[in-house]
Amino acid sequence: MLQQHHQQQHHHHLQSAITAAPPPSATTSTPPSSTTGEAPPKQVALAMDRLGQAARLIADIRLGADRLLEALFVASQPHQSSKPLHLFRQEDESMRQHLQDLRTVGKQLEESGVLNESLRSRSNSWGLHMPLVCPDGAVVAYAWKRQLAGQAGASAVDRTRLALKAFTDQKRRFFPHLDDEEDGEGTDTASKKHRNLPALAEDNQDNLSDCKTLSDVLTNLEKEIPNLKVSTYERLDWLKRASSLPASANDNTMEAPKHNFHSTSILRPALQNVASMDKVAVIELFFPSIFRAVVSLHPAGSTDPDSVAFFSPDEGGSYMHSRGSSVYHVFRQITEHATVALQYFLGIRSKTALHSLLHWICSYQTLFTKVCKQSALILPPVHRPYRTLSVSKHSSTQSISSTLDQGSNAPEAYHIGCFSDNT
Amino acid sequence: MPLKRVFFWQPNAGSTVNSQILNEVSQCVESINGVKEGRWKATLTFYKPMLRDQALSAEFPREFIGISLPEQPNKYYFVLRFNKIVLESDSSIQLIMEKLQSYKSRVALNFEGFQYQLGDFQLRVGKVVPSHSENLRGIVMEVEYLPISSLEKSKQIMEEFFDIWQDAISKRSLPGRFIHIEPDFLDYGLADHYTSQHTAVQYTHVTSQLIASVQAVQTGRN
Repeated sequence: MLQQHHQQQHHHHLQSAITAAPPPSATTSTPPSSTTGEAPPKQVALAMDRLGQAARLIADIRLGADRLLEALFVASQPHQSSKPLHLFRQEDESMRQHLQDLRTVGKQLEESGVLNESLRSRSNSWGLHMPLVCPDGAVVAYAWKRQLAGQAGASAVDRTRLALKAFTDQKRRFFPHLDDEEDGEGTDTASKKHRNLPALAEDNQDNLSDCKTLSDVLTNLEKEIPNLKVSTYERLDWLKRASSLPASANDNTMEAPKHNFHSTSILRPALQNVASMDKVAVIELFFPSIFRAVVSLHPAGSTDPDSVAFFSPDEGGSYMHSRGSSVYHVFRQITEHATVALQYFLGIRSKTALHSLLHWICSYQTLFTKVCKQSALILPPVHRPYRTLSVSKHSSTQSISSTLDQGSNAPEAYHIGCFSDNT
Repeated sequence: MPLKRVFFWQPNAGSTVNSQILNEVSQCVESINGVKEGRWKATLTFYKPMLRDQALSAEFPREFIGISLPEQPNKYYFVLRFNKIVLESDSSIQLIMEKLQSYKSRVALNFEGFQYQLGDFQLRVGKVVPSHSENLRGIVMEVEYLPISSLEKSKQIMEEFFDIWQDAISKRSLPGRFIHIEPDFLDYGLADHYTSQHTAVQYTHVTSQLIASVQAVQTGRN
């Protein structure tokens, strides 16, 4: 029992000796010179080697402690020779040597980051990790294994929090008008604007009571906006058309896509075929040389738009649909802005959403000709304000920034960086 | 197809074009976040007819130019500048001309350099060298706007881009500036919708301007 107690004491002593072995100055912001010259696999192999050495030294030390105790025991027996003393001295020497060796190995291990996590942040390009001696003595070849096990629980909470944040950000970005009052983060001005609008919106919706059906909306649009080519398609027919559009127009003539069998002629209301109108799912707005916008309706034949996208007039391919993305930055940005506008129109004025959306889209016909109100940046002004778009028959709009109001009839144009909800 | 403007470098009076300027221009493009994409090369050749009877040479066009463009590897373009004719043909016409021994190349110029992407714009910066020498004769720059094809609609945005470019390049205090002189495309029968024929015409005009400015420097020296 005495022996065991001594052994344990010694063991603890040894453990503390190991942890205390490296002097404080051996830590760590500077990389150890012994390991910088070697590739990571070599470093890991060396570390494993040294851990083996340390384990053997510790075993030797334990054995030596046993022998010392045995020598003491023998020496305590009566009438002994000088043999135990000799043994003792021998053991003492070898013990000191072992301890010294252990201190050295300990220092080396400390320097190579095995006893602490000094190298963890310096993840090497090989993807290897130094073995880690955990505080309870277990050696882990790949430290992250224990990390994972320990952190799985904690990270679930983190991940949920991140997901919630991402969702809230997206919601705020695409549905700004749905922000709750409790949110309180800079949405005050936006919600105030909304409170002013319903009065205006209600007023205008009465004016548009005669624009209820899809064909009415489209007829009205073509009447009001010259220079616009409107076409309608069933969903699959649009896909065929999109694929047939040239990627770069080789001909100099304007495109006249009236060959589509199912597209109705909007300009002749008397000849409208009500049955085929029921199946219309895609509306194409084409301003020659400027842009092409694709609006999708859901369900088919209704006046409920569900997505919109802008493309170059020369683009073509099966990726051109109302949820697709143009290859050009300018049209991608307009599409993004249009998606927000669409949500706005659906949220605030759902009955006239299609009409508002189409008119708002038409305001982009000045994309390349109208300068930004506030600056002359490189991109064409891709931002058209939609909140105060009034869709009465006289189509006058209120400009949000009134300082440069020229009394024009079209919504003002802004670059993305120039338009602020607070102006 | 995307439209472009071709600019040429006009050195200030008393200075000449050199490769240092070309380096500065390239660095300027990169400083406005142009992403280098690759190399480009166009060629322009002055042809003269092979005639047995030199007296007939008056009947032939004064300037008969052939141009190859990198974006149309299968085509070859002919421009008769004084007759305002531009023609697009298959690139095998060069072989035919050689076999027929009808026209011979008098002077050939190479326009070559790097191309850069800047958002929806594509820039090409290139040196002008005679085909069998390394003498830098000039610098050209192509500014291409990809999303649309209408010259008229794009006028404003091209000018805005050039203003920004001028701001950037003027900081380097180079002895000269880029100039674009828009040829009258209608004279050549070309429409508002941009095509490679427009490019061929632009290169023809740029070349004649370059030659004129080089000659002006030479007469200035004499």
